[in-house]
Amino acid sequence: MGEGKSEVLQGTLDLMVLKTLYAMGPQHGFGIARRIEQVSDGVLDLNEGTVYTALLRLQQQGWIASKWGTSENNRRARFYSITKQGMKQLNREAENWQRVAGVMERMLKLERQG
Amino acid sequence: MGRLRTIWAKLKGQAVQSREDDAFTDEIREHITLLTQHYRAQGMSAEDATRAAHRQFGNVTQLKERQRWQRGMLSPVEWGRDVRFGMRMLAKKPGLYAAMVIALALGIGANTIVFSIVDAVLLRPLPYAHPERLMEVRSQHLLQDGAVSYPDFFDWRAQNHSFTELVSYHGESLTLTGVERPAHLDGEVVSWNLLPLLGVNPELGLGFRPEDEKLGARVVLISHALWVSQFGSDPRIVGRTMQLSGEVYTIEGVMQASFRFPADAPQNTFWTTLAVDNDGTPGATTANRGDHELAAMGGLKPGISEAQANAEMKAIAAGLSRKFPASNTQNNSAHVQSELKAMLGDTRTLLLVILGAVGLVLLIACGNVGNLLLVRARERAREMAMRTALGANRARLVRQLLVESLIVSVLGGLAGCTLAFVSTPAVLRLINDSVPRAADAGVNLPVLGFALVVSLASGLIFGLVPAITSARGDLLSPLKEGGRSETDVRNRLGSLVIVGQVALGIVLTAGAGLLVTSYAHLARSDEGFKPDHLLTFMFEIPDSRYMNNRSDFYRQYFEKLRALPGVEAAGGSLILPMTDNSMHISFENPEHPLPPGQLEDARFDLVSTNYFRTMNIPLLSGRDFSDADTVKAPPVMIVSRGFAKKFLHTENVIGKRLKPEAGNDGPVMREIVGVVGDVRHGATSLDLDPGYYLPATQFPKACCMYSVVRTQVEPLSLEPAAKNLVASMDRNIPVTDVRTMQDRIGLELAQPRFAMVLLSAFSGLALVLTLVGLYGVMAYSVARRRREIGVRLALGAPRAMVFRMVLHQAAVLVIIGIGFGITATLASGSILQSYLYGTSPRNPLVLAGVCVLVATTGLLAAYLPARRAMHVDPAVALRYE
Repeated sequence: MGEGKSEVLQGTLDLMVLKTLYAMGPQHGFGIARRIEQVSDGVLDLNEGTVYTALLRLQQQGWIASKWGTSENNRRARFYSITKQGMKQLNREAENWQRVAGVMERMLKLERQG
Repeated sequence: MGRLRTIWAKLKGQAVQSREDDAFTDEIREHITLLTQHYRAQGMSAEDATRAAHRQFGNVTQLKERQRWQRGMLSPVEWGRDVRFGMRMLAKKPGLYAAMVIALALGIGANTIVFSIVDAVLLRPLPYAHPERLMEVRSQHLLQDGAVSYPDFFDWRAQNHSFTELVSYHGESLTLTGVERPAHLDGEVVSWNLLPLLGVNPELGLGFRPEDEKLGARVVLISHALWVSQFGSDPRIVGRTMQLSGEVYTIEGVMQASFRFPADAPQNTFWTTLAVDNDGTPGATTANRGDHELAAMGGLKPGISEAQANAEMKAIAAGLSRKFPASNTQNNSAHVQSELKAMLGDTRTLLLVILGAVGLVLLIACGNVGNLLLVRARERAREMAMRTALGANRARLVRQLLVESLIVSVLGGLAGCTLAFVSTPAVLRLINDSVPRAADAGVNLPVLGFALVVSLASGLIFGLVPAITSARGDLLSPLKEGGRSETDVRNRLGSLVIVGQVALGIVLTAGAGLLVTSYAHLARSDEGFKPDHLLTFMFEIPDSRYMNNRSDFYRQYFEKLRALPGVEAAGGSLILPMTDNSMHISFENPEHPLPPGQLEDARFDLVSTNYFRTMNIPLLSGRDFSDADTVKAPPVMIVSRGFAKKFLHTENVIGKRLKPEAGNDGPVMREIVGVVGDVRHGATSLDLDPGYYLPATQFPKACCMYSVVRTQVEPLSLEPAAKNLVASMDRNIPVTDVRTMQDRIGLELAQPRFAMVLLSAFSGLALVLTLVGLYGVMAYSVARRRREIGVRLALGAPRAMVFRMVLHQAAVLVIIGIGFGITATLASGSILQSYLYGTSPRNPLVLAGVCVLVATTGLLAAYLPARRAMHVDPAVALRYE
């Protein structure tokens, strides 16, 4: 992959998927991958397969639910949606992330002293 | 919570594994199709778009693997495969794995048996409503627990604030008469509020009322069994009467079939109130503060702790001691402890010791299996390296090996349970009734659960280490060197296991050796009389009809008894020696007067004429009692030699006078007319107890003596003749408790005997397992060093040196093990202390014997491999690949 791309940080993919489902309603894996690609503006180096690992993990935690529907091609596809618990988790994680991001930002802004 | 849910999802995932696989394949395919279309729409060629889509998606196979792992790492399909593969591995080496299964079966079987007993005796709560609140209250002096007297009990009951109910109880035997076949019944004399305390209701009737304790009340609750056998399950039994020892009792209820009180007295068939101990005279048992024969039990009030109750009862007892110094100086305290604990006493520790011992046996067995698995793992090092090289994941290999050891442990567990099931009855026979409630033991669900847990746990213990070490292995050396590389770690591990086994073996064998020594002391030491060819039995001569002519009855009876063919001598005694029963009664010595309450006391017995001759207790000086010693004759007594020495400080005591605190009409001064040898009162004590004897002929109100018959023939062959004789004199007097003296001693020795047999069996098992384990390790070590030995021999090493080399290797392990074992034994010796008679827990002879035994066993195990090493043919060994 070219320069200017970043690895997806451990744990952040789950948050991205949750947020996507929260913002866009039920989506299939492809839709989610597209949305992340779109929002990241090509900055993230995402193996789209890993989205499915995240989806399974989230599902096992009960934060998202899935049901079968039809894709744009009129073929069978699984659609994922966020659950109530998932929303709570999203709030928690988002807050947490913002706190960490805030700290990182302040850290990086520190001028050299002395 | 989240973790749990993940695990649940994984487990659930197994069930739908393959369906999920297919669905996921579809899902991925659709994603890639859509992605391809997406790139096509951006203007890529069909070929480029497909390639880009695949690249963007990532490794599909890897993803599927990961999804599968995440969904259910315990997929039943794969486990099934592991189990099948494991079975194939077992079948390949049937001898090796059979050795493991047998070792485990013995270990688990022994543990299951012991646990079934521990479960029945220690773990099951008492069969009453609030067993955890039931407390036994005993009188105490200088930390020695003792029985309570009625007046003390009444004061306890009135003054305490700790218990909802406080009841007294003591055993009683009465004769059921007025029925077709008179029978001797065991029962209990209790306070009226026993059933409210236990939270139990009768099957029929209502139970006792407070007025049932009043003077003259004769009421009884009967057991379900007695109701069925004697009263034909009559539903209208309540309110009817029955005759017990000639008195009329009103039946107030029938207890449930499962009811037992006390919990360790399943033979009890009736319960009556303490009114029967009150004859209305000032000397009645219920009025005598010095007559200690009661047990007391209470139910803690809610919010009161055992410690609080204990403190309160101690204070009450101390108060009574100050108020009644004459009778209570020796009972100035009290002791409250949980009922179950009080009932079990020392037996509890004994069972825990045995449980510990059998746990060690299992540990040794696990060590064996672990060692054999290590050997096996070394053999399979190549296979493992090959499989790792071919891409098997390490977790998979560990799992595979664990499955194998779990198969072994489950097979061992099954065989062990079968073993336990088959042999529990034999062990219970051995225990007899020496352990309360043990008769209820059986292989039931909790016990099977225990066996399952133990099997699986041992499978994990002995399986995990070999599995991890062999799956860790480096890839190259096993492949490179043709499978003969040696991993130091495993070797050291194997040696460590052997050292541990030897050490545990020493601990067990030393324990067994000490118990055997102690038992031999008990069984062989002098009883003070000749216990063989003695028949003993007893019958009750009821007060109601014989109050005034009991002596005549006994005189006629003994005359007829002595006349029976096969009878050499016959006599009677209130308390038989060697049965652990004894009664201590204090006495005044006019030469050394002491204040009341501080009188000395000694073991006491009431005997007939000819008793000493019958028992072969030597008459050392003076004379025996005779029929002339009647109530009207001068009061006399006989003392034992020990008594004379201890209390009168001389053996020359004929003609001296003492005043024992016993008598029909109060204590009287008695003249010593004879001195006899000392006897042991308990089979589990080695001391010859000083004691004194009074003539039954001067106590016509006392009931009832055991008959003792010295026979020329097999003692039990006289049972029918003796029974007929008694029936011919009074057909309403049934003879009961017929046993030979040796039988009685055997029963008394049941507990030390069963502890000894069990511990010996376990240590034997431990030695055999250690022997097999050491043999296995040595044999393997020799096989592995064949080439090295071949080289040594080829270079001119004498064969004897090779032999010594192998023995030396084994000896080092054994000696280190013995060192640890002896240290552990010396450190833990005090545990057995209270079960040892005539030997210290650190008896050097026993310990030395045990060391020799274990060392010999060890050398025996090393002998064969050492011989094999000596006979290695260098030519063959060097060519051997």
